[in-house]
Amino acid sequence: MDSWVRFNAQSQAKERVIRAAQYACTLLGYTLQKGGAAAELRKTVSQLEAHMSLSRKLLRLGNSVEALEAAKRAIHLSDSVLRLCLTISHLNRAMYFACDNVLWAGKTGLVSKLDQHKWSQRSFRYYLFALILNLTRDVYELRLLIECEARSRAARSPPSPSPTLPADHSLSPSTPDMLAWLRRQLHLLVTVLYSNPPLLLDLLKNSCDIFIPLDRLGIYPTGQGFVGACGLASSVLSILTMVHPWLKLKP
Amino acid sequence: MDAVVKFTSQSQGRDRIFRATQYACALSIYLLRNDSERKNLVAKLKSLETNMSAGRKLFRLGNTVNSIEAAKRTMQLSDRVLCLCLTAANMNRALYFICDNVLWARSVGLIRDIDKERWILNSSRCYFLSLVMSLTRDIYVVLQLMTQTARDKHFRQKMELQLNESPEVAEAVVPHLDAFLFLLLESLKSHPAVALDTLKNICDLFIPLDRLGIYKSNAGVVGCCGLISSVIGIVTLAQPKLRLKP
Repeated sequence: MDSWVRFNAQSQAKERVIRAAQYACTLLGYTLQKGGAAAELRKTVSQLEAHMSLSRKLLRLGNSVEALEAAKRAIHLSDSVLRLCLTISHLNRAMYFACDNVLWAGKTGLVSKLDQHKWSQRSFRYYLFALILNLTRDVYELRLLIECEARSRAARSPPSPSPTLPADHSLSPSTPDMLAWLRRQLHLLVTVLYSNPPLLLDLLKNSCDIFIPLDRLGIYPTGQGFVGACGLASSVLSILTMVHPWLKLKP
Repeated sequence: MDAVVKFTSQSQGRDRIFRATQYACALSIYLLRNDSERKNLVAKLKSLETNMSAGRKLFRLGNTVNSIEAAKRTMQLSDRVLCLCLTAANMNRALYFICDNVLWARSVGLIRDIDKERWILNSSRCYFLSLVMSLTRDIYVVLQLMTQTARDKHFRQKMELQLNESPEVAEAVVPHLDAFLFLLLESLKSHPAVALDTLKNICDLFIPLDRLGIYKSNAGVVGCCGLISSVIGIVTLAQPKLRLKP
């Protein structure tokens, strides 16, 4: 109970729970539609989803400032690739939140005659750029860790003598060799991800999240059900990193 | 900027800002209600107020647990009066949040056949009772402070000076009243947290008094009182020294 109180006291945590509920409604709406449920039930679910989406926009009203502060902090990182990726990702997030605030003003009627579709597309574009940069950072960290792991493995076990190729195979690499190399790389990947849960969670979260703007912008339409499932999965992973702060990828 | 970010990252901080905005809108709507040129603005303010209220109901969904935890903590206080008042206030707030959650479910369409008016009355009653309990606690703390201040030698010297300054006051009743008011003001001045909490609870009290029909004021008074209490709430959250403990 005490941990719930502490969790509830953070407004970001509340926003994540509402996000999980919103995408659960999306998924539920898709399932009800496929299952041929009553129109009134479907209408209730879609109204609930719209209400949660608008309330989340209200809750996010100050987030541009937080994203700019995070970008300011990211400029001081030592690693240049990380510095570039994170700073630009935070700036894109700040722009996404700014567009989101304009959308909220339009939806509540404060700004009349707002082209909601245009601003919505804009906000999803910034969100997509931010996610691409986050994924780039994840892949970069993964590559560094894989190289590190491969080096430590090579240092631990003495290198085995490479089998001499028979004469008629000298022109192209043999398939068993390539398969062995692939299996080794895969094993390295799995080992690295297993021993670095924060990186694994961040990678999964960003991979799930990227399907949402891809679908909304029409680049890779997947349908409401898949989007709802991905959104729900990424929200749950995000709540997990908030409940266990050691699971959060730093910086 | 850092302080602003820290304030808004607490969900209570954001909720108080939204509450202040909501009551500011209510006050502005009341003030502009007869202005025919500003009908557009009034419509926008109404829409903003409704949205803030609906959003806040959603954000309050988990607060029953918070209130029950607070009640569990206040049950262990040593002072009996404080223990009683605070526990009763927290339990009534928990009941208020339950009624509020039911009203949210009704407004969203999850529950259909409940008597909305009855539940609004119930939630107002619980809120009213919790405010009365909080005010009782404030009065108790003020009385304690006044007895403590009256015994203080430094204060007695100040009072002698104050009373001897105005020789034209009537003899029988008014010197006592004068002395009482002076003691009250001195106690409140030395403990601003109590003064702020009392003012906040008094302002908040007008809201359920109006809704329950006990003391019908108008929407402007309700909006103004709500705005003042929200601003005091923001100040006590930003400056923890000004918060009344326990």
